[in-house]
Amino acid sequence: MRIRISHATTYRYDTPPNAVTQLLRLTPRNHDGQYVVEWRIDLSQDCQLHQHEDAFGNITHSFTADGPFDSLAISVSGEVDTQDMSGFVRGAVERFPPALFLRETDLTFPDAAIVEFAEATRAEAGAGASTLSVMHQLMANVNGELAFDVRPTQTVTTAAEAFKLKRGVCQDLTHIFIAAARHLGVPARYIGGHFYRADGVTAQDAGHAWAEAYIDDYGWIGFDPTNGICPIDAHVRIAAGLDFLGASPVRGTRYGGQGETLIVAVNVAQTGQQSQSQSQG
Amino acid sequence: MLSRTADNLYWLSRYVERAEYLARILDATQRLSSLPLAYVGTSNEWESAVLTAGCATAFFKIYDEANEENVTDFLAFSTANSSSIRSCFEMARSNARAVRTALTMEMWDQINGTWLELQRYGNGPTSREELSRFLRWVQESSLRFDGSAYRTMLRNDAYWFSRLGVYIERADNTARILDVKYHLLLPDNERVGGPLDYFQWAAILRSVSALTAYHWVYRDSLKPWLVADLLILKEELPRSLASCYEAIVRNLDSISGAYGRQGPAQRQARAIRTRLQNSRMDGIFQRGLHEFISEFITETNGLGGAITEQFLV
Repeated sequence: MRIRISHATTYRYDTPPNAVTQLLRLTPRNHDGQYVVEWRIDLSQDCQLHQHEDAFGNITHSFTADGPFDSLAISVSGEVDTQDMSGFVRGAVERFPPALFLRETDLTFPDAAIVEFAEATRAEAGAGASTLSVMHQLMANVNGELAFDVRPTQTVTTAAEAFKLKRGVCQDLTHIFIAAARHLGVPARYIGGHFYRADGVTAQDAGHAWAEAYIDDYGWIGFDPTNGICPIDAHVRIAAGLDFLGASPVRGTRYGGQGETLIVAVNVAQTGQQSQSQSQG
Repeated sequence: MLSRTADNLYWLSRYVERAEYLARILDATQRLSSLPLAYVGTSNEWESAVLTAGCATAFFKIYDEANEENVTDFLAFSTANSSSIRSCFEMARSNARAVRTALTMEMWDQINGTWLELQRYGNGPTSREELSRFLRWVQESSLRFDGSAYRTMLRNDAYWFSRLGVYIERADNTARILDVKYHLLLPDNERVGGPLDYFQWAAILRSVSALTAYHWVYRDSLKPWLVADLLILKEELPRSLASCYEAIVRNLDSISGAYGRQGPAQRQARAIRTRLQNSRMDGIFQRGLHEFISEFITETNGLGGAITEQFLV
């Protein structure tokens, strides 16, 4: 599937800041299931954009824009060609042994309720069930247990808090999945990316998130608890990390300035073949 | 475009590129063999030239010993060797003649002129000097052909197929040149990093016109892992594997964009490019450079097969 993505992050400041420094994880890499046809990042302020690679192999861009300015827009757009790999992640950048992804983080700490939930899931899958089927059961249970609701949670909500509320966004569901999987001794990581919606709604408020679990004999396999499916050709994988903070699209700091408001607009659409778009042109 | 036309264009470029590559190998080998024996000890560079060219079996069917005379004759002038420089130019010209109307005047003039001039060299030069002149002429002919294609061809499927031939062949050739160092084992009394080792690496870099580029990029003495890094992973170097695959994918994308359809060739090329982009030198050395290159050559052959399957038959 050919997916065209545009992702605009706009900051507006009541009092202009002196400078803004940010680190962007907005650029996808190629692996067997996806190929980046073209990709570009545009900033509304003049500055130097440096490309690096973080410890997990994600492509990062960093910049410092000197103020004062009233607004700062980071727009990313590009086209990615994807294939359905039935959830398997092959040929991706791996910089660490899978065991590293057993490490707990603040956002994915399993409290008593999550531990109990994880144990119950393992029991439900049945004695002697393979790790793979336990993970599928876990994905289904997280998907069934929590209601999708954008209101109550924020970017810093932990897995335990969201689990108590029984509601959250893709980020919270993913954190809970990761916390439970790690408790069961399965290495799991957080994936930030984009999702093309089959219902044709292309304008979205945010990117998408899902998890990957390392299963012996298979390697890394994706699990999308929000949609209750393993990633298909509608998923575009951008960054991997231990939790949201490690894979977050934009992180940064600002010197001076006040009253920051943030607007994020994401558009994920399927592009037709070249000849079609020309005739529509 | 007829598959047959695409096939001719593709192989025309491949043969011209291969002729240049053979000339580069012979040039590098000649350089190595002219080092004073007292300085480097005994070595087997003529045999390794045959191994690099990938025609050792055919060679040893005809000759017993790999020496300067035999190898030069076999790789440059032999009609028995289907990929000698002479055979390459002859096949390039017959491919060009079959698609004369798909070529520009400049390209045809160039390839036909090369073929006519080849006759002048007869059965081979009589001296080392003349051989050097010949090898230089081969490389210049290839450059002129490449340049005339780049400057005069319409950017349509004909151009993309001819480029595809160039880059597939070049990727394969660079991989083989790098592998030569594996075959060209150091004699027991020579140490790694010693004079012979140094000259061998320098010869490899020179044979892909990358010696100056090496010093620009690394500002360091010649180190095997840096040479490998340059020739495998650096997209900036026009003969590196990464750069060849960038071009292969780009041209396949152009073809599929024009035809409105994707296929296995494009997917395979993208997969190999992805692997190159995601690899790092320490990982490659850990698994073994020779293993990596052998695998790469097999995969590139596979891609050549997929391209043939999808477009050329």
